[in-house]
Amino acid sequence: MSSERVVVLELTRLEAAHLAGLVTQFAELMEDAVSTAGDPAIARLVPDAYADDEAASDDFRDMTEGDLLDRRRQDAGEVLGSLSGATAIPDDPEPDDEALMEVVELRLGPETVRAWLRCLAAIRLVLATRLDIRSEEDHDVDDPRFGIYEWLGYRLDGLVNAASDDD
Amino acid sequence: MADVVWNDPVNLMSYVTHVFREYFGFDRPRAERLMRAVHHEGHAVVAEGAREQMELHAQAMHDYGLWATVRQAPQ
Repeated sequence: MSSERVVVLELTRLEAAHLAGLVTQFAELMEDAVSTAGDPAIARLVPDAYADDEAASDDFRDMTEGDLLDRRRQDAGEVLGSLSGATAIPDDPEPDDEALMEVVELRLGPETVRAWLRCLAAIRLVLATRLDIRSEEDHDVDDPRFGIYEWLGYRLDGLVNAASDDD
Repeated sequence: MADVVWNDPVNLMSYVTHVFREYFGFDRPRAERLMRAVHHEGHAVVAEGAREQMELHAQAMHDYGLWATVRQAPQ
């Protein structure tokens, strides 16, 4: 079972700003998504529920897609809300600006943690579709998006561990 | 009917285990056993019951970002 305790997440202002940018892009993608047609990343978030029955899958999608996509928008809003105080960085920072590396502490309540977990998992699914990741070994060291993808995984794994009771 | 969760290269093993514990209320050993079955065998049956219930579970799995389908339970 998931813990009901508050999870403390520590990240630098630079990380927080990058994450807020990603989540904002994700939210914009979800705002524009009226249906799964045409975008495999959206389709991955609203997958077929019947492997061999297209009509039943379509019926299921008609019933569930609105709620599933609403959830993505709400989660993105929740994550951006909890990041809002952490992303303040200078407009044109020097690379070695100490403000970027300042560690901020986010205190996330149980519902907010759940929104974070779903949101980070969903953004990874979208990125994986864009990057055409088909196996766990797929990796292109020259493409910085893989670094972002792996960083999201690292943060998601940390949050899962913090949110899970150890029993 | 049955709910099947399918392996994908994206969802973390820790996250899948967390979902099985949180949503189905499975204890950690059972959740990890199912997660490993998904990971190594490509899929696992996570629930069996009436179609309406299985569709609710499938939607819940999709809500978490897991890929789940509904099918006839093996006889």
